[in-house]
Amino acid sequence: MEMQRRERAPKATPERRGWSLRNYMALFIVALLGVAFGAEVAFRGMAEADARQTAEADANFSARVAAAEIANELALLERTTASVAANPQAAVVLSTPKASCTLTFAGGILFTAGRLEIVRSDGTVKCSSGPLPSGAVYATADWLPIAVHRPVIAAHFTDPITQQLSAVVAAPVGSELGAVVGIVALSPVGPNLLTTFGGARNLEFLVTTSDTSTIVARSIQPARWVGTGLAGTSFASSAGPVERRGIDGTTRLYGRSVIAATPWTVYAGADKAATLSAADQFSNRTLAIILAGVGVMLVMVFVVYQRVSEPVRRLSLVMRGSTPGPAVNAVAGHGAAEVTGLAEDFDELMASINRELADRLTREHAATVSERNYRTLFEGHPQPMWLYDVDTLAFLNVNDAAIAEYGYTRDEFLAMTIKDIRPPEDVPKFLELYSTKSPSFDRTGPWRHLLKDGSSVQVLVTSHEVTFGEHNARFVLAENLTESQRLELELHQSQARAQSSAELSRAKDEMVSMVSHEMRTPLASLVGFAELMSTRELTPEQRKEYLGVMVQEGRRLTSLINDFLDLQRIEGGHMQMRFAPADMGTLIVRAVRQGKGDDHIPIETRLPDDLPLVRVDSGAMARVLANLLSNARKYSPGGGSIIIGAAVDAGMVEVYVQDHGLGIPPDAISRLFGKFYRVESPDRQMIQGAGLGLAITKNIVEGHGGKITVTSPGEGKGTTFRFTVPVARQPAQSGDVLIVEDDGGFAHLLEAELTAKGLSSVWAADAETAEHLMARKVPRALVLDLLLPGLQGDAFLTRMRANHGLATVVVVVTLKDLEPSESLSLQKAGVTAVLRKGPGAAETAASIVAKSLVAELVAS
Amino acid sequence: MRTVLIADDESSIRLLVHATIESDDYTVVEAADGTAAWEMIQKLKPALVLLDIHMPGRNGLDVLRLIRADAGMVGTRVILLTSKAQESDIEAGLIAGADFYLTKPFSPLDLLTRVDEALLR
Repeated sequence: MEMQRRERAPKATPERRGWSLRNYMALFIVALLGVAFGAEVAFRGMAEADARQTAEADANFSARVAAAEIANELALLERTTASVAANPQAAVVLSTPKASCTLTFAGGILFTAGRLEIVRSDGTVKCSSGPLPSGAVYATADWLPIAVHRPVIAAHFTDPITQQLSAVVAAPVGSELGAVVGIVALSPVGPNLLTTFGGARNLEFLVTTSDTSTIVARSIQPARWVGTGLAGTSFASSAGPVERRGIDGTTRLYGRSVIAATPWTVYAGADKAATLSAADQFSNRTLAIILAGVGVMLVMVFVVYQRVSEPVRRLSLVMRGSTPGPAVNAVAGHGAAEVTGLAEDFDELMASINRELADRLTREHAATVSERNYRTLFEGHPQPMWLYDVDTLAFLNVNDAAIAEYGYTRDEFLAMTIKDIRPPEDVPKFLELYSTKSPSFDRTGPWRHLLKDGSSVQVLVTSHEVTFGEHNARFVLAENLTESQRLELELHQSQARAQSSAELSRAKDEMVSMVSHEMRTPLASLVGFAELMSTRELTPEQRKEYLGVMVQEGRRLTSLINDFLDLQRIEGGHMQMRFAPADMGTLIVRAVRQGKGDDHIPIETRLPDDLPLVRVDSGAMARVLANLLSNARKYSPGGGSIIIGAAVDAGMVEVYVQDHGLGIPPDAISRLFGKFYRVESPDRQMIQGAGLGLAITKNIVEGHGGKITVTSPGEGKGTTFRFTVPVARQPAQSGDVLIVEDDGGFAHLLEAELTAKGLSSVWAADAETAEHLMARKVPRALVLDLLLPGLQGDAFLTRMRANHGLATVVVVVTLKDLEPSESLSLQKAGVTAVLRKGPGAAETAASIVAKSLVAELVAS
Repeated sequence: MRTVLIADDESSIRLLVHATIESDDYTVVEAADGTAAWEMIQKLKPALVLLDIHMPGRNGLDVLRLIRADAGMVGTRVILLTSKAQESDIEAGLIAGADFYLTKPFSPLDLLTRVDEALLR
C-alpha cells in the first residue's frame, strides 16, 4: 500500500521550551569548578591564618620556656654564691691572707662557661675556679661595691679576664670583706637556647636588657651581636608580637617573655616562612583532592551525557524524521536502558500507528466502494426509491426512477414531505399507522400516491430503517401494483377480514357467556328476594335485611354493566381519550381521598416535589388509580399499609401501588389482565369482583402509550402494580389561552373554536394542573369552569389574582345559574364574562376571549 | 331431624335459599365452598344438598360425584343451583346423578316446591 512506503518527512526543529540537557550539564560543571575554586581559596586563607597563629603561639611558648630556664640557672648560681658566702670559712679565708681555697664551677645547660670566685672588696681575687688572676681585676667593676653589702644579680659586664660580655651573680661575705662572685659568659647562651629549645624548628633566641638597649645573648652569630644595641628596631618600638626579617634573611615572628628577677627580656622568633610553607603544603594537598573530585565529577557528567543526552538527541532526530530508520538502531549500544526502552516503545507506537492508518485506509476504501455501490443501486434502480426523515417526514433523497415516475423534479421532492404525495383523505390513516412504532423493516400497502399531474397510482411500499447522515431515516421502495398483485391482495384482505370476523364472533360469544354468568348471581338475589317479599309475611327486620341485600346486588349489577360497557368502548376504540397536561400528584392525592374506605387501611403517598406534568385523560386516569387502590384494599383482608407513589423514568412518569396483602401466585400473573379472570383460592372467595377492573385499567394505560406491570414476591407477600404514562411535552409554550375545565368534551370544542380564531390553547383538567402551568407561563386569557374536581374555580381565581395580578382576561363558564352575590364577587375578581354552559357556549366564550385580547392590544 | 345443606360461595344466594326453605321440619346448614361442603356432608349425612356448580375449592359437580360414589349416601337428594345456563353443564349434572337443577335467577317458590318434592320421595 501507498501508506507503507510513506517516509516520515523531516520537520523543522520545533521551538523547545526550557534548557537542553547539555546546557544543564555545562551549568553544572561551571558550578562545580566555582565551588572547587572557592573551597581552595578558603582553605588556603584558613591554613595561613592557622599557621601564623601556630607560629606565634610557638614563639611565645619558646620565649617563656627560655626565660624560665635562664631565671632558673641564674637562681641556681645565686643559691650557690649565697651558700658559699654563708660558709664561715669564706670570711676566714678572706681575712686570713695565707689561707688558700678551692672553688669548682659547675655549668648549667645555658651558662656553660664561667667561674666561681671569692673577691676581696678591693677588687682582687682570693680564690677562683679558674686560673687565679693577679691584681685588682674587678676594682673598676660597678657591681663590686654593692656586692660587698648585699646579694647582686648584676646584669652584664665585660669580663676583664676573658674580655667577654658576662653576667655576674654575687653574695657578700662578712662585713665588706668581699663577695662570692659567679661570672658566666653570655655568648654561649644564645646557641645553647637554640640547641635546647629550638629543635628543628629554626627558632631564633634573643636576650636583651629590659630597655632593649643591649643584646645580652643571641642564637645567631652571638659573637657579633652580643653587646650591641637594639635601639631603633621593631623590638624597641613594639610591645606586642614582632614580625621581622632577620639578618639571616629569614622572616620571623617573635614572642617575648621577661626573665624573673633579672633586668632581661627573652625573645623567641619562629620562622614564618617555614610555618607558612607547611600551611602551603597542606593547602596544596587539599587542592589536589579537590581537583581529583572535580575530575571524577567531570568524567561522570561526560558519561551521563554520552549515555542519556546524546541518545535522546538521536532519538529525537529519528522521531522528527530527519534521520531515517528505526529508533532502536539510533540509540542501540549508546543509550541507558530507559532510553533504549523509550526507543523501543516509540518504534512499537509507530508500528501500531502505521497499522492503524493502513487499516483505516482499507476501511475508507471499502466504505467508498460500498457508497459507490449504494449510489449505483439507488440511482440506477428502475423502481422509485427515496429516503425520508423519520422525525420531520421530509424527503432526504430520491432516485431518478421516482422523478420519472412521479413527475416532480428533485428539488420539488426535497421540498415536500411524504404526506404531500398522498391524497388528503388517506393522510389520517397514514399518520395513524405511522404513529405506532414501525418495525425496522416492513412492507405495507396498497397505498395511493399522487403524481404531479394529479393522477394517482397504487403502490406497495417496502421500507427499512437506516441512518442517513445525521438523520434517522427510512429507505423506501415503491412498487407499482400489477393487476394480478391487486387481485391477490384483495383476496388476502378479504380472507383476513373473514378470519378476524370469525375470531371476533368467537370472542363475542365467550364474552356474552361470561357476562350472562356474572349477571345471573346478582339477578338471582334481586329477583328471588323481590318474589319472597311479595309472597310472604315478613318481619320488618327481615324486610330490611332483604332490601339491603337487594340494593347491594343491584349496585353490583350496575357496576358490572358499567365496567363491561367501558371495556367494550375501549376495546372497540370508541372511548375518546382527551389528553391534556395534568399533575399526577394531584390526581393521586384526589384518588386516595376519594378511595378511602371504612376499613382503616392506611394509604401512604410518596410523591417527589419535582414531578413533571403528564399527558393524560384525567377522568380515565382517575379510574385507573381508583381501580388499583380498590384492588389493593380488597386484597389486603389482613390490613397492612398501602403505598402509592410516582417517579420519573426515561420520559415517562411511573406510578406504583404497593400492598401487603394476599399477593399473586406466579402462574396467575400472565392472565391477571384478562377479562373475567380472577385468582381462585379459598382466601379470596369472600372478595367480590367480576374480573374486569384490571382489563379496563390495562386498556386505559395502553391507550395513553404506557405500560402496566405487576410483581408479587408470592402468595401472602403483597403485590405491586406499576404503570407508566408519558410526560407532557413542553406545555404552555404556545398557549395564548388556558382552559381549566374537567369536561373533556367541552374543552375540546373550545380548543377548536379558539383555533378557528387563530388562538392557541392549553387545556388543564383541574385547577392544580393549571397552577403548575401558570407557574411556567401566565396565559393571556383564561377560560375557567367553576365546578372542578379538586380546588374549585373561584378559589383558584382568587389565588391566581394574588399570584399573577389582574393582567389576564378571564371568562368563567358554569353549569348552574349563579346567585347575584356570586356574580358580584366574580366581577370583583376581574372576570370579563360569565357564561352558562349550553349549546353555543364554546363559540361565545372563544369570541369573547378573541375580542378582549384585541381590545387589550389596542388599549396598550 | 333431617338436615338440608346449602353450598354456595355467594352469601346473598345462601341467604335467599335459607330464607326460602326455612322450616321446622328440618335443619338448614350452609357451606361457602366445595371442600367445606364435602366435609359437612360426610359428617351430617344430609337428606338434601343444594349445590352451586361454580364454587372455589371443589366445584359442585365434583361434590355430586363424591356423594354418588359413597355407598352410605344412596338416599341423599341433590338439587343443582347454577348460573351456568349452558346445556353442557346441565347435562353433566344430570349424568353425574343430580335429582334436579335450577338455573339462576330462580323463583323461590319454585325452589321450595322442588325441595319439598325431593324430601317427600
